[in-house]
Amino acid sequence: MSYKPQLTGSWWLKHRFFKAYMLREATVIPLAFLLCSLLAGAFSLQDPERFQHWQAFMSNPLVILVHTLALTTSLYHAATFFVLFPRVMPIRVGNYQLPARYLVLAQWGAVWLVVALFIWLFAFGGQS
Amino acid sequence: MRSIQVLRYLPEESPQPFLQSFQVPVTDSTSVLDALNYIKESLDPTLSFRWSCRMAICGSCGVMVNGIPKLGCKDFLRNYPNDLIIEPLAHLPVERDLVVNMDSFLRHLEAVKPYLIEGKNAADSSQPNRQTPAQMARYQQFANCINCGLCYAACPQFGLNPEFTGPAAIALAHRYNLDSRDSGKAQRMAPLNSKNGVWSCTFVGFCSEVCPKGVDPAAAVNQGKVESAKSMLIQLFSGRAIGGAGQ
Repeated sequence: MSYKPQLTGSWWLKHRFFKAYMLREATVIPLAFLLCSLLAGAFSLQDPERFQHWQAFMSNPLVILVHTLALTTSLYHAATFFVLFPRVMPIRVGNYQLPARYLVLAQWGAVWLVVALFIWLFAFGGQS
Repeated sequence: MRSIQVLRYLPEESPQPFLQSFQVPVTDSTSVLDALNYIKESLDPTLSFRWSCRMAICGSCGVMVNGIPKLGCKDFLRNYPNDLIIEPLAHLPVERDLVVNMDSFLRHLEAVKPYLIEGKNAADSSQPNRQTPAQMARYQQFANCINCGLCYAACPQFGLNPEFTGPAAIALAHRYNLDSRDSGKAQRMAPLNSKNGVWSCTFVGFCSEVCPKGVDPAAAVNQGKVESAKSMLIQLFSGRAIGGAGQ
């Protein structure tokens, strides 16, 4: 005779490690909202009036707040992902194992490259 | 002296588990296992728990200490100045007090064939099976597993789905897949590719936090996902069976 305690829906509230995991997974929610907004924008291109509605929607402070949240939570997700990456795909050059911190730094470097590209595109209109 | 609580389960007395308090002598070097042994020897001989080596080699004395999977011999009372509750390992059926039924874990372990399988990579049996230090370094970390089961008690995916092959079994499958002397990867990929194999893991990563030997099973499972994806792609383009890929 034995008993087996069942895992309840609140299992992730029991330890800060699980809470951090759920937060990492929940970062998809504001991101999904941003993607839906962008998708709606793509469809609204068919009609000038709809495009104006979409622009008004995008400048709503509440929408800007959720989109800012999407940016910050995505950066948090990236930070957690970049640390996990060297563990999932350790890179070996011959017999030399590339230290994890280099891989983490390289990923952040790639992020800054993309950020710099967008700053160049938006602030200078793609002209130097 | 200090008070600790132990979750008791005595099926002939009560169908429900219950917490019992004990007063145990404590010094800086008193381990959780020392406290349990004191209880059994001096206070209540009916207390049941597993232990053997007292030095984090045998992997028998896994328990939940304040809700976290720990080896009793490697965890000390000095780390818990306030409350201390000792419970059986989570996610496994409890037979009595702190004794859990490890059958499901052992079944998963058996399924991934965690031993060298002879084949084209094995040397002539009359010759020693040599390996360079570099070849050994590829799998050594994953070979440190002592089958204590702490990672299964830490894994919410195993808690929700006991059919999940789980961290230690996948780590050991990966350990043998990485071994230059082994030829059994094709046989091991079948259970790893299945629904309850590597893809049931969502990289919570708590298994690696609690591992007392620094094995990092979460890394092994997720490296297994890379291997599984590779073998699926190869199968897609070559039309060979999944198990035959990745050799």
